[in-house]
Amino acid sequence: MQSWRRRKSLWLALSASWLLLVLLGGFSLLRLALPPRPRPGASQGWPRWLDAELLQSFSQAGELPEDAASPPQAPHGGSCNWGACFDTSKCRGDGLKVFVYPPSGPISETHHRILASIEGSRFHTFSPAGACLLLLLSLDAQTGECSSMPLQWNRGRNHLVLRLHPAPCPKTFQLGQAMVAEASPTVDSFRPGFDVALPFLPEAHPLRGGAPGQLQQHSPQPGIALLALEEERGGWRTADTGSSACPWDARCEQDPGSRQTQRRETLPNATFCLISGHRPEAALRFLQALQAGCIPVLLSPRWELPFSEVIDWTKAAIVADERLPLQVLAALQEMSPARVLALRQQTQFLWDAYFSSVEKVIHTTLEVIQDRIFGTSAHSSLLWNSPPGALLALSTFSTSPQDFPFYHLQQGSRPEGRFSALIWVGPPGQPPLKLIQAVAGSQHCAQILVLWSNERPLPSSWPETAMPLTVIDGHGKVSDRFFPYSTIRTDAILSLDARSSLSTSEVDFAFVVWQSFPERMVGFLTSSHFWDEAHGGWGYTAERTNEFSMVLTTAAFYHRYYHTLFTHSLPKVLRTLADEAPTCVDVLMNFLVAAVTKLPPIKVPYSKQRQEAAPLASGGPGPRPKPQAPAPNCVNQIAAGFGHMPLLSSRLRLDPVLFKDPVSVQRKKYRSLEKP
Amino acid sequence: MSCASGPGGGLRHPLRCREPWDEECEKEAVCVIMCASVKYNIRGPALIPRMKTKHRIYYITLFSIVLLGLIATGMFQFWPHSIESSNDWNVEKRSVRDVPVVRLPADSPIPERGDLTCRMHTCFDVYRCGFNPKNKIKVYIYALKKYVDDFGVPVSNTISREYNELLTAISDSDYYTDDINRACLFVPSIDVLNQNTLRIKETAQALAQLSRWDRGTNHLLFNMLPGGPPDYNTALDVPRDRALLAGGGFSTWTYRQGYDVSIPVYSPLSAEVDLPEKGPGPRRYFLISSQVGLHPEYREDLEALQVKHGESVLVLDKCTNLSEGVLSIRKRCHKHQVFDYPQVLQEATFCVVLRGARLGQAILSDVLQAGCVPVVIADSYILPFSEVLDWKRASVVVPEEKMSDVYSILQSIPQRQIEEMQRQARWFWEAYFQSIKAIALATLQIINDRIYPYAAISYEEWNDPPAVKWGSVSNPLFLPLIPPQSQGFTAIVLTYDRVESLFRVITEVSKVPSLSKLLVVWNNQNKNPPEDSLWPKIRVPLKVVRTAENKLSNRFFPYDEIETEAVLAIDDDIIMLTSDELQFGYEVWREFPDRLVGYPGRLHLWDHEMNKWKYESEWTNEVSMVLTGAAFYHKYFNYLYTYKMPGDIKNWVDAHMNCEDIAMNFLVANVTGKAVIKVTPRKKFKCPECTAIDGLSLDQTHMVERSECINKFASVFGTMPLKVVEHRADPVLYKDDFPEKLKSFPNIGSL
Repeated sequence: MQSWRRRKSLWLALSASWLLLVLLGGFSLLRLALPPRPRPGASQGWPRWLDAELLQSFSQAGELPEDAASPPQAPHGGSCNWGACFDTSKCRGDGLKVFVYPPSGPISETHHRILASIEGSRFHTFSPAGACLLLLLSLDAQTGECSSMPLQWNRGRNHLVLRLHPAPCPKTFQLGQAMVAEASPTVDSFRPGFDVALPFLPEAHPLRGGAPGQLQQHSPQPGIALLALEEERGGWRTADTGSSACPWDARCEQDPGSRQTQRRETLPNATFCLISGHRPEAALRFLQALQAGCIPVLLSPRWELPFSEVIDWTKAAIVADERLPLQVLAALQEMSPARVLALRQQTQFLWDAYFSSVEKVIHTTLEVIQDRIFGTSAHSSLLWNSPPGALLALSTFSTSPQDFPFYHLQQGSRPEGRFSALIWVGPPGQPPLKLIQAVAGSQHCAQILVLWSNERPLPSSWPETAMPLTVIDGHGKVSDRFFPYSTIRTDAILSLDARSSLSTSEVDFAFVVWQSFPERMVGFLTSSHFWDEAHGGWGYTAERTNEFSMVLTTAAFYHRYYHTLFTHSLPKVLRTLADEAPTCVDVLMNFLVAAVTKLPPIKVPYSKQRQEAAPLASGGPGPRPKPQAPAPNCVNQIAAGFGHMPLLSSRLRLDPVLFKDPVSVQRKKYRSLEKP
Repeated sequence: MSCASGPGGGLRHPLRCREPWDEECEKEAVCVIMCASVKYNIRGPALIPRMKTKHRIYYITLFSIVLLGLIATGMFQFWPHSIESSNDWNVEKRSVRDVPVVRLPADSPIPERGDLTCRMHTCFDVYRCGFNPKNKIKVYIYALKKYVDDFGVPVSNTISREYNELLTAISDSDYYTDDINRACLFVPSIDVLNQNTLRIKETAQALAQLSRWDRGTNHLLFNMLPGGPPDYNTALDVPRDRALLAGGGFSTWTYRQGYDVSIPVYSPLSAEVDLPEKGPGPRRYFLISSQVGLHPEYREDLEALQVKHGESVLVLDKCTNLSEGVLSIRKRCHKHQVFDYPQVLQEATFCVVLRGARLGQAILSDVLQAGCVPVVIADSYILPFSEVLDWKRASVVVPEEKMSDVYSILQSIPQRQIEEMQRQARWFWEAYFQSIKAIALATLQIINDRIYPYAAISYEEWNDPPAVKWGSVSNPLFLPLIPPQSQGFTAIVLTYDRVESLFRVITEVSKVPSLSKLLVVWNNQNKNPPEDSLWPKIRVPLKVVRTAENKLSNRFFPYDEIETEAVLAIDDDIIMLTSDELQFGYEVWREFPDRLVGYPGRLHLWDHEMNKWKYESEWTNEVSMVLTGAAFYHKYFNYLYTYKMPGDIKNWVDAHMNCEDIAMNFLVANVTGKAVIKVTPRKKFKCPECTAIDGLSLDQTHMVERSECINKFASVFGTMPLKVVEHRADPVLYKDDFPEKLKSFPNIGSL
């Protein structure tokens, strides 16, 4: 009995042990038996084959008998690309020359002005034979007129058909090999690299100048709506993104009454603008958003974004898939402030550079085509996509961004540490000996150029200086002062008038300041513009005031590039104006630099004594006629030529750090500036 | 039983989960063994002698088995992972020849031909990519199979070395998923890299029977050698319906813009030959052509060039009389001269890449590797990754009909641009051509960028070589913009408990016309700020922010209360600045909104004796920093300081209770690449309380600490971002002989 009991307890122990064994071991065995389940995170992936080393290469060496040389053909023969349908051999020499077909009948005012603007540009030629591009304007769509087939059509080869507004009229002739520049073309009909996508301009778009961007500050105001949506009748409303999951879709909006609706007839005031409709409305909204500095969020646009060939739209807009609206909204909400800041600023830059006027749009179109012809010497993406933009950064000047004054930061480069002094000797034609010595004394001076521009013969002897001195015989035209002479080899130019007087110290300090602001003009004497209520126009004053907007080019540092820009990009009318009224040339140069930089010039200190005794200003005592008289008129004419007033005022002057501080003069680097 | 159910978790989190439960298992097993042995040792001896021998043996055997089993189990539990992973090892290491065979009936369906109108929004099912918080597509790879037709004849080579590499690269990347239900993109393991090695119809049938084929939606095929004789189509001829094609030889006619991806033709020489990077600059030959098997017409054109331009042009061909054992693909000949290929490419500035029967040529990769600028002569060819790569920066494209002019076209390129292109060419090879892996990942990145465009990689990231990325600065406030004066500025006063001085500062600052709000950051947690009624009454809103900790970085926190872009940081003891000076400072900031605009200026200097940076506060002719005891700046820099300060600088500043201003100077200079603007003449900035302590020694330790800060920050930034300038900003008529009452800012510089 006892043994039975013992045996029973033994059996119990045994069975308990077995149970344990089964439970513990069973699971392990189970794990061994079953193939391992795929686990997320620790997945197996593609197998590592044992014989991976033995696998053959996809192409055996020498396998390819490359015998067929016939070029790949277009499948239907109908479509065109740049290589096949454009003959660049006509464009050799001076780049793109454009001939515009004269209108066949009466034309609208807009048409007329666009013609005038192309004729005033550097691209234009009057001979269709010498032209490399023949431009057919198809502008007056709204009047119901459609152009007929022009004479030199030649199956459309080297033709560009420019349609600022989508043409309601049927295609009266086969486009053939002609390129089409059209407002917001559909993605399907657009031929990348051949056609040009234009922006969809409203009827009342300004021809020249144009309204600046609306953005007043870099970062969005706190509390500004995240998203603005388009209203049906052409306005915008801001959406409350917090409450509704998909605020742009009326179907999922449970309570339409509670949404924040702000009627705005004008421009949207939000960080992002959602554009989901179809063209042309969407394309119109897109431009509005761009001007307003509201980052466009395009949901699957079926139309090509304007100038997509050269403009990197990912820097200024967000193109997202309309099928993933929730992800888009989440992405907008989570977007980093840095990205928002960058996108916002880019919208404004693009608007100002390429879209704000009809003239800019047309010039951009021609520039795009010119870039195709230029090939390697075309604008780089950097030049197109950062201020001041490709229209103002001429690729004929240089293909290296470092040569321009605008891209030193992006390139990690610095402007050159030397300058060239360019001294203009007008009547009466006294060799500026003192000035040459003062300038040559500067440690930063690399060369001196004398532009001899008066009736007197060239003096036979020039002062002995260590500086290389070159004399250029001018033609007597004032605009020669800003001609890009090939003899100028430094980035910086110190432009001087023979009657200016400067000390070496002043030159040195001004140049050091210019190195910090290579894109601006750094000058000694200033003048200002102002709005003259009484005359309803702009006024000009050279009086000393608390602010200034121009520096006199009779003594100023600026980048050599502005000579190229002055000579090659300014409309002929303006340069002629400057030649006829010599004092205007100062104003014109200041306009040009301000239009490019969108910043005021910089003033540096100028010795007081001389300032009163013999001012640099062209209005000083001298045989030249008093210049104050033509100035106001000249400011107005130039402003009209630019289409807007680019000048900006500054209220500061840059002085040496210890300027007139109560410390020993011995400690100061620019001592002679201190003299009372 | 957590042991048995947990191994998955254990594998996944080796650090967090495995250790605790391993310990548990260990205890459990040991306990079982102990209990058993206790039974045996203590009770067994008393029990066993009484049994019959037969029984005893039986029991002992039984017990031993149980014991052994338990020990084995225990051991097994002890090393579950090694056992399992060796198990995986066995599963993974298979031979390509052992893969399952799939028989394709002759009448199995064939997909439609490729749809030329496909675009992402029409043919791509983006919903499959919807659930991904990291903005990264998930890619699934089908298992490898061997496809045979009804007669058992294989459809193609199972897999090539390159395609295996490609799938391995995808599988090792972040894109990979093995969950077919979560995948957004599917990559068949059917190798179509070279169309010549496969049977077109049967390959198409194999594609069509893939489990998620669905007309090819979201399927990605890689093909480098498309077409076949005689007409050599420029895209893969295998009918593939809506599948995306990453192809290496597209022409404008077959390439579906924004849908297909143009990829390079991989050159196996990339892996075989190690060509060290050769610096840009003039090389022995101006132009070289090294392709064999060129069409005779092209060869004639090239040889005409050689005759015309002599030594500077070199046209190479196959070697005819090579001795046995020399690899013919690694040699090129000109007349009787033998050259090593691809080394000879490094001797040339420009290298011709002519199209052959196919548009895409593997030589492009060799040329780029040699840092030679490719001269691409292949009309309508879509260059590799042209969707994102800017080929204008690395190549010259010449139309075929202009081949005779090629020399003059190339000569018109300035030397500086050529060097830039040489550098760029080599960088493209290193980043996108070098290996199959680079090609695969770039392809997936392009597709990823299309699906999540708001998280896309920028032009600069794709195209700028690392050296440029390092040297360049992209100013976050790049738009030239003068903010309107009407906006005004917000003054932020950081204070601890100097209430009297604080109130004086508030009263002084409130006199500045452009002040729009005043924010007091109360940094004292032990003391409440004074009651509302005690604060000075000023014309603008005054807000007090209490902080959770007495940290210096609280001064630079981007408070929601800051509504203006301009911020004036001012210490609670700066009472010497006049209203004119502050207003002028704000005006200067408007003209330089991307800079720090401050009053007292400081300088950093290189100490040649100590070989480190030194802080300088003497009367110097230069400035590189301004103190933020009184400085205007853009509020965006508050955000950067709080969230984007590199390294441990922020904590370092808080721990040392010093140098927050130097840190801000570093940050702004680094991100904008611009110098500070010091405004108005030098003034004595003395705090009233400092005079009590021995001024000199305090000054010295202070200077040492500040110098240390500069050295520390310079090492964290990896560079010295501060810029030295020799100017300061004064009002236009400052110290000019001009009636004082007509000046806008007369009260400047008075002590």
